[in-house]
Amino acid sequence: MASAVVAQDLFKVYPGSHSRTPALDGLSLTVPTGGVYGLIGRNGAGKTTFVRIAATQLALTSGSLSVLGHDVAREERKIRERIACVPQESRPLYFLTVEEVVYYYLKMRGLPSVEARRRTREGLEELSLGEYRRRLVSQLSGGLRRRAMCAMVLASDAEMLFLDEPTTGLDPIARREVWAAIRRASREQRTILLTTHYLDEAEALSQRLVLIERGRRILEGTPGELRGRVRYPYRVALQEGVAPEELEPYGRVATVEGGQTLVFAREREARELARWALERNLRVSMGPVSLEDIFLDVVGRSIDEDTPAEDAEPGHDEAKA
Amino acid sequence: MSGRHRLRALGALVVLNGLIPIRTQPFYVVYLLASPLSFLFFISVLSSGAFVPFGVTGGLILTMLSAGTGLQSDMTHYRQDLKFQDIVVASPVEAPTYVTGMALSELVYSTPGLGVFAVIFVVTGLANLQSIAVLVGVLLLVWAFASALAFTLATYLRDVRETFMFSPLISLGLSVLPPVYYPIDRLPHWAQTAALFSPTTYAAQLVQGSVGLYSLSFGHALLDWGALIAITAALFLVAAFKARWKEP
Ligand SMILES: Nc1ncnc2c1ncn2[C@@H]1O[C@H](COP(=O)(O)OP(=O)(O)OP(=O)(O)O)[C@@H](O)[C@H]1O
Ligand SMILES: [Mg+2]
Repeated sequence: MASAVVAQDLFKVYPGSHSRTPALDGLSLTVPTGGVYGLIGRNGAGKTTFVRIAATQLALTSGSLSVLGHDVAREERKIRERIACVPQESRPLYFLTVEEVVYYYLKMRGLPSVEARRRTREGLEELSLGEYRRRLVSQLSGGLRRRAMCAMVLASDAEMLFLDEPTTGLDPIARREVWAAIRRASREQRTILLTTHYLDEAEALSQRLVLIERGRRILEGTPGELRGRVRYPYRVALQEGVAPEELEPYGRVATVEGGQTLVFAREREARELARWALERNLRVSMGPVSLEDIFLDVVGRSIDEDTPAEDAEPGHDEAKA
Repeated sequence: MSGRHRLRALGALVVLNGLIPIRTQPFYVVYLLASPLSFLFFISVLSSGAFVPFGVTGGLILTMLSAGTGLQSDMTHYRQDLKFQDIVVASPVEAPTYVTGMALSELVYSTPGLGVFAVIFVVTGLANLQSIAVLVGVLLLVWAFASALAFTLATYLRDVRETFMFSPLISLGLSVLPPVYYPIDRLPHWAQTAALFSPTTYAAQLVQGSVGLYSLSFGHALLDWGALIAITAALFLVAAFKARWKEP
């Protein structure tokens, strides 16, 4: 199946911007059709800029970008027929009820009343908003407003959804309900472009991920591939204080709060270290690195070296889409 | 979007932005009456009643213009604070459908004002077949150009606060300085020339002419219609090519 998004060498400089670095600086990536594609990166990395350009809300400075097989500059109408978006920091109109937020959005997209009503009912139930159906948006908490926005686009018939930090401010249970709805959409072969700062969420939902830093791609692949591309794919946590010098031969040592020591290591060294700790009756746990570890490691190094990690590590081949 | 889909979108926008807000804030229904009624009041008092017909025709035009002012602040607020324009852009709804739907929804708020002035229009004996036809045509054009102008501006303003600054300036340029509330010959010569740049000058002349407040030859009336239509068309072109539906 053709790719949902093909981006090549994207540059974006905001007009009138005084910053010398572009918001997107030669970004290339391919989003496969169907499933969730996660965009992660620090504040100001360029995630929203990319999402807004792909959702045809913002013009590109240079580069080529096709969405659902159409060029964003020349065929935006054809793209818009098939997409829906929850922008970062968007809020529903305060004088509507939760039900009206979803229903009138669907009507605006041209759905007939009967279908819009059915989709509204199902969409609200899916995100446990049924009991707030008749509640005015102005009387809702921040998280409930955000959920109403998610319900709105998830209930639509769009083939591709752009969700820019859709779960910011949601409680853990509500967040998982949104995940379930996103997974359902992805099973229906819809494509979801998701940005989030919750790395557990990115990992739980995304089939593929891209890590962006300063408008450039620094890692891309499935969560498993990302692990394979870091120097130390395992983390060993030791509860009791052990002198860092003793641990250094095993890998990279990081002390975290609460007296816990983390060691990032290759598989063999990780096993050796765990055995060593067990022999000394130390409390120890071992597992693959989390996405957050990768993020801290790769982005941290990229900031230190002021060069993207991908360029700095020629030994690692780019994972193929 | 097909024609049927567009109609559904228009209907949704009218209900969404025109009817539903009244449920939570009934005063929306009367706020547009305030300025035109106070102008009518001043004019009647100051002219000892002689200029009441000017206050009525001016009030009708100003009520329509205010629909544009309302549109401009609604659209700026929706775009900047709620990111609603981004939501609409990334959907099948095209810009002309969005603007038309929003502009129609503003008419909901103009209705009470138009109603009150229409009653005064009839009671003061200004209504006849010809003046009603002219009035309807002129008011539709005023609504159209005010909406196109409002949309264009709303896509440039960075904050709703800026609309608080622009709206009075635009009202000044379109409804107070041009001879909407008085005959054009009351203006000094230079101001008459300046007024020719305002579409409301032609709108007011046509309405004043049709009710006999101003003697308008057939040729002059044709010129006025031409100018009003040309300015409206120009503002549509500006909206089509310069409004920022997609951000640069
Ligand atoms: N409208 C704008 N005008 C000028 N510069 C902008 C504008 N929007 C964003 N930028 C700049 O572009 C860069 C990328 O911003 P962007 O919003 O894409 O980041 P982000 O990855 O979404 O960050 P966050 O996680 O904080 O949402 C930043 O340096 C930002 O300051
Ligand atoms: Mg962002």
